[in-house]
Amino acid sequence: MRADSQSRNARQNRWLFPVVFIAVIVAVLVIFNIISKGLFLEWSNLKVIISHLIYPCFIAWGFCFLFACGYTDMSIGGVVVLGSFASCALGNAMGVPGVVLGGVIVGLVLIFINFLIFTYTKIPSWIAGISLAMIYEAVAVFLKLGRRTKPLVTASLAPEYRVLGQLPWSILLLAVGLAVIYFLYNRSTIGLNIRALGGNKDVAEKLGINVNRTLLAVGLITGLLIGIACFLQQSYAGQTTVKTGLTSINMIFQPLAIYLLAQIIQKHINIVICVPICAFILYAVFNVLTVLGVPSGTLQEAFLGFFIVIFGVIGQRKAKGVVK
Amino acid sequence: MNGSGRKKVNISDIVPFAAFVILFVFFTIASGGRMVSAYSLKMLLEQSILTMVCAFGVLFVVAQGSIDLSVGVNVALSGVVGMHIATATGMGWLLIPCCMIIGLLIGLLNGFLVSKCHVPSFTLSIAMLIGLRGIVNYIQTIIGIEYVPQSMLFMTSSAFRIIFFIVIAVVIGFVFEFTRVGRYSQAIGENETTARFVGVPVSRMKILVFAVSGLMAGLGAVFSMGTVGGTTMTMGAFLEMKVAMAIFFGGVLVTGGSSARFYKVILGSLSITVIVYGLSLIGMSDSQISESVEGGLLLIILFITILTNRRRSAWKKESSVREDAAG
Amino acid sequence: MSENILEITGLNKHFGPTYANKNIDFSVKKGEIHGLIGENGSGKSTLLSQIAGMYPRDSGQMLVNGEPYDPASPIDANERGISMVMQELGVVGGLPAGVNVFLGRTKQFSRFGIINLRRMRKEAEAQFEKWDLEAPPLGQMPDGMMIESRKMIELARALSVDPQLLLLDEVTQSLSLNNREKLYALIRKLRDMGRSVIVITHDIEEMVEITDSITVLRDGEVIGTVRSADTTPDEIRMMMVGREMSGHYYRTDNAPSYGERVVLDVSGVSVPGELDDVSFQVHEGEILGFCGLSDSGIHSVGTAVYGLSRISGGSIRLADTGEEISSPTRALKSNVGYVPKDRDNEALMIHASIRDNFCLPSLTELKGPLGFLPPGRLKGLSADMVEQLSVKCTGIGQAMDALSGGNKQKVNFGRWLAKDLKLLILDCPTRGVDVGVKAYIYQLMNEAKAKGIAMILISDELTEVLGMADRLMVMKDGRVTKTILRGDDFTEQAVIGVMI
Repeated sequence: MRADSQSRNARQNRWLFPVVFIAVIVAVLVIFNIISKGLFLEWSNLKVIISHLIYPCFIAWGFCFLFACGYTDMSIGGVVVLGSFASCALGNAMGVPGVVLGGVIVGLVLIFINFLIFTYTKIPSWIAGISLAMIYEAVAVFLKLGRRTKPLVTASLAPEYRVLGQLPWSILLLAVGLAVIYFLYNRSTIGLNIRALGGNKDVAEKLGINVNRTLLAVGLITGLLIGIACFLQQSYAGQTTVKTGLTSINMIFQPLAIYLLAQIIQKHINIVICVPICAFILYAVFNVLTVLGVPSGTLQEAFLGFFIVIFGVIGQRKAKGVVK
Repeated sequence: MNGSGRKKVNISDIVPFAAFVILFVFFTIASGGRMVSAYSLKMLLEQSILTMVCAFGVLFVVAQGSIDLSVGVNVALSGVVGMHIATATGMGWLLIPCCMIIGLLIGLLNGFLVSKCHVPSFTLSIAMLIGLRGIVNYIQTIIGIEYVPQSMLFMTSSAFRIIFFIVIAVVIGFVFEFTRVGRYSQAIGENETTARFVGVPVSRMKILVFAVSGLMAGLGAVFSMGTVGGTTMTMGAFLEMKVAMAIFFGGVLVTGGSSARFYKVILGSLSITVIVYGLSLIGMSDSQISESVEGGLLLIILFITILTNRRRSAWKKESSVREDAAG
Repeated sequence: MSENILEITGLNKHFGPTYANKNIDFSVKKGEIHGLIGENGSGKSTLLSQIAGMYPRDSGQMLVNGEPYDPASPIDANERGISMVMQELGVVGGLPAGVNVFLGRTKQFSRFGIINLRRMRKEAEAQFEKWDLEAPPLGQMPDGMMIESRKMIELARALSVDPQLLLLDEVTQSLSLNNREKLYALIRKLRDMGRSVIVITHDIEEMVEITDSITVLRDGEVIGTVRSADTTPDEIRMMMVGREMSGHYYRTDNAPSYGERVVLDVSGVSVPGELDDVSFQVHEGEILGFCGLSDSGIHSVGTAVYGLSRISGGSIRLADTGEEISSPTRALKSNVGYVPKDRDNEALMIHASIRDNFCLPSLTELKGPLGFLPPGRLKGLSADMVEQLSVKCTGIGQAMDALSGGNKQKVNFGRWLAKDLKLLILDCPTRGVDVGVKAYIYQLMNEAKAKGIAMILISDELTEVLGMADRLMVMKDGRVTKTILRGDDFTEQAVIGVMI
């Protein structure tokens, strides 16, 4: 009896949250629009927001798989820089296929190396990731300053090869990415195994899931997603700059905030779908802040940090109530 | 120290010494002996002081198995704000106490969020790193850089800094190695359940260590401004990583516990400085060179530390740190 | 073909120096419901886990249908028609219930790499229907479900391999009454199909009622197998807890002896789900024993008195100062000591040195002015204790994990004796130690008693409590059901009568 009514309640709640959630988002957007005196909902403004959120979405999806097996990779920023360089160099030489190839190959290879280091050295991933970030960043600076490599990597990607980073192609890629990742995460054996491994390693192992092979798959999937993010980044921005001093870590803060926010509401909406929604919310907030004259790079960063702390507190509070 | 009467030397205790000696000898030879000049040695010490002061505070946090990556930005915020208060009020003597108080307050906030709200320390301090840096940059776009007031110019003398540093080192060394604060922190890092079951006030200790870490960052601001003569736009940048590297370079396990020792922080900080200074001596002063060398060596040292400790636990316990990191 | 589906001979399994299973001979017939019973730590779950392929045995032989059986994994076991619902395995909270049923075997639903979730859910639903079980909402995450629904998912998972032998470890305790009935019906149905079931449960009445035969384990050994129809719950209990009183290392006196002064006053303490209105006093130099079956709440008494549990009612006070023990920190300050049951995970810093472990509770006493902890004093204290307790080690700098169980326990117990204690709480102090150390620990308890330290002795071993306590509190379902004074009716029979 109890279980029955519980399930009926749950079935009702299942649709309740998304409806309320979307209503809230719409309300917030309208409020944003009023605050910004109608500037916010203008198509040109929305276009800016949307084209900006695409490559962070792919990184945040990468985080979904990465965090699922308990790793935190701080070197992703460095990987993205190197991947963008490759994308630029190959792109200018070979056109759009080169753009894609450059990013994906570098992303795959480097993330795979990271995974090998995480699993075999047993160094906690966050600190190993920081070391790797330093190395990748330094390599990127070498390339930027190197006499032979400089023209290759600091040149802008030719505009005609940047279609993938522009609307409508970028949004198309996002849609395809969403569909593929949704199926991979929810509807494939490997996706289910990854989540089982992250959710309860003991259960996963005892049910015959091969831990090493699953970890390997996580490395490949994350690598691919980061690789896509690389060429999207390069296609969107046209140019990538790099400095030493672990500045590349800054690149993953926004995707991290997206992921943490998505994690909080994933109970109600599938996390793969959450990611672009949360990205939109986050960038909309920053967009409004910009419209309101809050300086970017300074106070907006403060907001970002504040969001991450708040998401962290809320996420943790929820986790405590769960049995086991 | 770790062995009783009859010394049974632990390999893992040699690693930080060996690393330091190898690095020092290598750069001495590579630089044709310039490394051992009086000037070089003084430079080594001076350049290590800031890292060491901040690392002294973070050591307590790491001993508990947590991490504080907000020290760099804390140095910047407490320095910039403290300096502005001292300049704006015209009361130069306020500078040092203000830095200390602001640093302490940020540390307390960190401690509260980690201990009472159960935010993983890694996620939290990364968020602080982003957020506070934004605030610092904002403040600096308004007030710009400021110089140490006339009445406080003694801060810029290296004699003052070295004496002040020695005082701090003695106090922290004493507190960490010879009082309950250090012992309890190690106990929490070894096994939090045990510490709680014995009666260690775990949540209070967690707040305390972050407060100490914040306070040391506030003092770090004093040293940082003393060296440069004022605030800079890049104050404290990269410092948190340097501090973390210094601690792990010294052979402290990421899981903390009794592997966290005071002398290791000093050795680790010196090693890091030897790398940077040594590279510049042999004409490779580019930041990307030192950064790649530091990154590579850090990986190697971490790996060796884990191997030589031969604790299955360091491998097993990793999962808890992972959770911590994954948030 | 043999009539036994499972036959085990001479099986041994040990974890470190302690035997979890010792020379087990055990068999299950086809179409039989076989119960496995014993106190906590008697090795029944270990035995079941080996049958299910969770971990390998050390030695001995297993036959399934007369053929050698060496499962490398639970998947192997499934292929031989054996599946298990574990006590603590659980489900993956972040995957839909339907997926959980087929986790690890999801490939069969996949086409061109895409899994047909609807077919999987249908299939899962069919499992629930086939075995007449109540299905939880299969599209939802188990995270938000009640424990009962989660157990149902696990049950469906085990049944979905169509097992010839089903192993159930403490499944009923998390089920409501009507689901229990359904489970019983399911078990009977399996029997009628000629399948076999092994059941572990703490509910002895239930076990006698639903099984055909029962095997009792104690300390990792098979005590005996009886036919359920010919036995009574009381007989089973006697087999479970009864031990011969070879009490030459216990106290020799036969009367209670303790001071007048009350040390600890516990009144009306309740901890939700663990303790219900527990009151008692402990006197100077008294050993107050607590005994009861596994889920009676005796261990919760220890954690509650040391301030580790959040109590919902009542008070725990030190009688002379009136101070309330609200946290372990307060307990430590008030010179109360606690030896927890789980030595390696709760009591000791297993990778730290012997010195650090010895000194941890005494740091407040050792500190001098400015909070200074003189290294010499720490060293002195640990060196003295090592010598006094004759801990076998290479030096006080040696790491704890190199010591044997008995020597670890000496440190765990002995470090409290370095303090000027008022009260010491001992939860299973002789668990997993050999006879020599055991006798030594009793000797230490007697010495502490002579010094006037009050002690609370919580133990799963009835003989130990009977051998050492001045007064004995028997607990059941979180309540104290009887208090017996040493010399009054201090026999196993009397206590067991109340315990059950």
